[in-house]
Order: sequence, then structure tokens, then C-alpha cells
Amino acid sequence: MINRLEATRYLVEQLSDEPIIASCGNPKFDLFTAAESRKANFYMWNSMGMASSIGLGLAMARPDKKVIVLDGDGAILMNLNSLTTAASKAPANLVHIIWDNAQYQITGGQPTHTAGKADIEAIARGAGFKKTLTVNTFAAFKEALSQILSQPGPWILVAKTDSSKALGRPPKSPVYIKNQFMEALRGA
Amino acid sequence: MEWPHKIVSLLKANDICSISFIPDSVIGRILKVAEKDPYFHFTTLAREEEGIGIITGEYFAGRYGVLMMQSAGLGNCVNALASLAIPYQIPFLILISQRGELGEFNACHVAMGKALRSILEALGVQHYTVNREDELETILNGAIKTAYTSEQPVAVILSTALVGWKDEK
Repeated sequence: MINRLEATRYLVEQLSDEPIIASCGNPKFDLFTAAESRKANFYMWNSMGMASSIGLGLAMARPDKKVIVLDGDGAILMNLNSLTTAASKAPANLVHIIWDNAQYQITGGQPTHTAGKADIEAIARGAGFKKTLTVNTFAAFKEALSQILSQPGPWILVAKTDSSKALGRPPKSPVYIKNQFMEALRGA
Repeated sequence: MEWPHKIVSLLKANDICSISFIPDSVIGRILKVAEKDPYFHFTTLAREEEGIGIITGEYFAGRYGVLMMQSAGLGNCVNALASLAIPYQIPFLILISQRGELGEFNACHVAMGKALRSILEALGVQHYTVNREDELETILNGAIKTAYTSEQPVAVILSTALVGWKDEK
């Protein structure tokens, strides 16, 4: 199992000013802990499932930048159709990482369908993604990331994570978050 | 100029180059005109809600978008509007082809058609209805300007009085 915060920290260390879209719940909490001062972080406070769509829009409009989406299993299960749209548009700069701990961790650990039969990588391949990976260990995550960041995508990376608590709390003003993020993008 | 051509030229005049859509026969007529102009980027959605996310991402990069859909699609967009576009202040045009009002043949479109404006109002999304071709330019230009000024989505509803209704009983 991968520790989400450790993996988030490692990811950020590999990046410079690439934009990151962090889904509501734990992906954004851990991103804030890992990279509090990083301006190119977009923190979602709700609209569960929309991270993949925001990432797709940004990737299409900024083909010069790798766009990283940090999603959760519960969130992508809520917007599975977005995988078909992203695979059809197929921007080469899109990197969609799904932290999959097979539970709605933030609401008490109720199992998601990936705890049962659903396989997000297989769904992504069925949607039309050609470059997909699932990793279970931190070593495999690091190896996958070096491939993903050096080769064109679009990429889907499903990382099986544990359910360590995410303690970070990013700013709560949506407009502040947006303005910081857009300012970072303008300078990037 | 017929209304589909007029809509496309007004979008372009207002720097809206990205069209995210779920088609219906009315939206299809607009797309047919827009497709001839390489200025526009098109994203076929699988569900209308995705369009809110995609347009948000494009806006972050300085690209302006329009979400085109039938009135039925608004029901699929409510939480993304309420918890993404509105609080993060993402300006864009929502162009809605109205079902369930004048000339409707399908009973299953009526409840959503009647609820359309109440839902927009409950969310605080400003909306304007185009009934005649001669008001199209004023309403579309004005709605887009207000969207940018207020940094909020604004909806323009195309009535069947403008676009006609299906000849089915």
C-alpha cells in the first residue's frame, strides 16, 4: 500500500510549475500539507467528481504544460463518463492520478465499489485510454511517475493507497484559491 | 442572417471559442454552422455536468466557453453549478434549448421544462429568454457581458417560439 501524503510529496518534488487540480476531500488536504506554498495548486471544496473534467479543460487549453489531476476513487466513480470524454479528446499533457483506497474515507470508511469488483484502470482502458497503470507500492509509484512525466499521455495512474488521515486544510475562500491558481498559470 | 448563423457570429464576436455540448436538434443547427469555422474548439460531452468542469479548466487558461444543451440537461448540472462555477466565480454562457413549453409532444419533457427557470433562480443564475430573432443580438451580447462582469455563469434560453417545435403528435 502507498501512503498518499508520501506519494503526493514525491510527486510535487518531481514537478516545477505544472498545474495540479486536487479533488475535494483527502487529495486536496494532502496536497496542501505537501506543498502549502505552491501557487499552481487548485483546491476543490466540493463538486465531487469534477476534478477530471477541470483537468481535461485545462489540458486542452494549455497544451504546453503537463496538467496533473489528483483524484479519489469515490470521486471518479461519480464522473466515470468524463473518462470517455478525456480519452476521446486525448490531450497528450493530461496526467490523471487516482488515489484508490477503496473507501469513502472522509465519511467514515464506507467501501466504494473498488473494494468489490470495480477496476478503475480497466474502466479507463474501456473508455479509450491507451496509457494506464496501477501501482501498489511506493517504489512502483515512483517508477510509474518517471515514465509518466517523461512520455506523452494522456495517462491514467491508479495508485492503491492506505487510509492515513489527511490533516492539511487549504484556504477556504474559493475566489482566493482561483486567483492564486490563475496567477500561477499566467506566469507559467 | 438566420438565428443559428447569428448565434455563431455573436459567440465569436465575444471571444467565445470553446463549445462544450450535448446535442439536440436545435443545438445541432448551431453546431452545423460553427463547425465550418476553425476558430471554434468542440467538446462532445457524455453528460452535461462535465461541461461545467471543462469550461472551468479552460477559463483558468484564459479561454472562454459556452455550454450548449437542452433544458433536460440542466438537471444534470445543478451541483457543479452550485459548488464549482458559482462559488469559484467562473463566467460563461449557458445556451439552453427549451423543451416542455410551446408545442411539446413529449410529456416527459414538461416537468423539467416548467422547472427550468425556477432551478436557475434558486441557484441565483441570471437567465434571459429569446423568443424572436430581432432580440437575439441584444440578449446574447448583454448576457455574455453580464457573465464576465459578475464572474458568474449566465443562461440564455432559446424558446420554441424562436426555433420551432417538433412536428410530432
